[in-house]
Amino acid sequence: MSVEQFVLQALNGLAIGSLLFILAAGLSLVFGMMDVANLAHGAFYMLGGYLAYTIVRGSTSACFRASIDFWIALLVVPLVMAVVGFVVAGALLRPLRGKHLEQVLLTIGVAIVLADLVRACWGGEVLSLPAPRGLDASVTVVGQPYPLYRVFLIAFGIALAIALWLVQERTKLGALIRAGVADTEMLAALGVDTERLFAFTFAAGAALAGLAGVVGTPILGLAPGIDDTVLILSLVVVVIGGMGTLSGAIVGAFIVGPANTFGALLVPEFALAFIFMVMAAVLLFRPAGLLRR
Amino acid sequence: MSSLGRILLGVAFVALLLSFARWSPERFWVSVVIQMLISGLFAMSLDLLVGYAGLASLGHAAFFGVGAYAFALVAKHVSPSVAVALPGAALAAAIAALVIGVFSVRASGIFFLMLTLAFAQMLHALAFGWIPVTGGSDGLSSVPRPDVGVSGVNLFLTSNFYVFVAVVFVVGALALRAVVNSRFGLALAGVRENERRMRALGYDTTRLKLVAFVVAGTFAGIAGALQASFDQFVSPGDVFVTTSVTALVMVLVGGAGTLAGPVLGAIVVVSLRTFLADQPLVGARWETLLGALFVLTVLFARHGLIGIVRGGLSWPRSP
Repeated sequence: MSVEQFVLQALNGLAIGSLLFILAAGLSLVFGMMDVANLAHGAFYMLGGYLAYTIVRGSTSACFRASIDFWIALLVVPLVMAVVGFVVAGALLRPLRGKHLEQVLLTIGVAIVLADLVRACWGGEVLSLPAPRGLDASVTVVGQPYPLYRVFLIAFGIALAIALWLVQERTKLGALIRAGVADTEMLAALGVDTERLFAFTFAAGAALAGLAGVVGTPILGLAPGIDDTVLILSLVVVVIGGMGTLSGAIVGAFIVGPANTFGALLVPEFALAFIFMVMAAVLLFRPAGLLRR
Repeated sequence: MSSLGRILLGVAFVALLLSFARWSPERFWVSVVIQMLISGLFAMSLDLLVGYAGLASLGHAAFFGVGAYAFALVAKHVSPSVAVALPGAALAAAIAALVIGVFSVRASGIFFLMLTLAFAQMLHALAFGWIPVTGGSDGLSSVPRPDVGVSGVNLFLTSNFYVFVAVVFVVGALALRAVVNSRFGLALAGVRENERRMRALGYDTTRLKLVAFVVAGTFAGIAGALQASFDQFVSPGDVFVTTSVTALVMVLVGGAGTLAGPVLGAIVVVSLRTFLADQPLVGARWETLLGALFVLTVLFARHGLIGIVRGGLSWPRSP
């Protein structure tokens, strides 16, 4: 592999890692706070992606507006997904509070329903979304053309990581979240309405999945089954990095993203098997993830 | 009911089941019941983990798939004899379950769920990537039906294959019943209820769970072998997470912790898939119905449909 190739593949790995970080941040937040592995996270991503597809494609008649529409989708879709998440948490998870395994199982049912409804609304064929105008150009990296959108995705992921970190470390909401992850019972004893906090957490997780659906669709495309793929990859990221911490999601995403890209290059058939082997090894030797004591 | 009455009733039921291909009004029904029996055996094997040992696995398709692929490979390349291919599939699944189990049963709850999912996805990736052996995404086709070694009995005939599947199902169900009613089965229920106390009583709970994992995997492998020979085809889909999820849905919808429950769940799922798919209104959306049914079961019927039959709904504590 030449140096140029290596750099381009490394960028690809970072772009996928960036997307995985957005996904894993939501999954990890929910797990850290509620002890629930949200197995509908992939379905949330998928719904977000299809919604973005409709918003963007819906007005391609006016070419100029298409680029604006992508940015509208970037705002609207996470909000819609937050509402979906809020409803799921409030109506379905709340009656099962304290029963974490039942809650996890319930999210499986939600995932089945959402995936099927998406198929009902958008059909089963493969859909793709071009990079938004302004980002559909190429830039020159080490003398090679490289899609600008992927560079944007890397920057977006990093910016989001910084923003989330600032929220977590510097705001009252962040303090609540950190306290909730550390000790929910104590937080409840201090008079915080943890049920409401849980619902908002779950909504935020769904919003992050929807956001990932918007920015990920120009790269990954949409098809039935994307929900499973995305869910499993983000579970791997969260398990490797450690659940409930932002830094864990960052570390996990930027291990799995490049590992996926380079693995597919070196051993095309067994790249995925290799990633799951890493995950199993981490679960065995550091059950709480790499970054937890 | 007296025990003699129960035995007579059981014998009558088995006789009706085995002879179904003879009195079924339509040939189509025979294929449907074959699928119910295969899925039922698979779901029962999973329930040994979920309902009896209290270990919710999201990777049971691993052993279903290993059994299916092993059966296909042995039947194609070694011998389709039922005395070779079926034990071969069961053994392969048992070994896979032993290896995965050694690592998985140390975890519990959500971590067990994710570890089993990870291992199953590893095998799915293997089925997808190891093209010379598994055929990759194309899978393996023209898998022979087993050869029972009796001249004139051809299992490629659906009515004959039905009897074979029904016999395997009945033997499997009786074996699983013996397992859950044995001292081992009771100890397993003890682990589910209070693992620490069982350990204090001197039980090696990790080993108990491992044995349960291997037994469950073996029967899942047998179900997979039946599926491979029924479809005469194996594909990576047999090892995919959706196969695991469907089995888990069958167990929980039907009723975990009983052997009749998972079979009832299998009947419901296969019926929805088979009969609703033809209905113009809800047809294409049978999965939505299934998912909704699953959600309702988790919320309101902890003991599944069997529990409703036996004693009404258990509403969750009001918020």
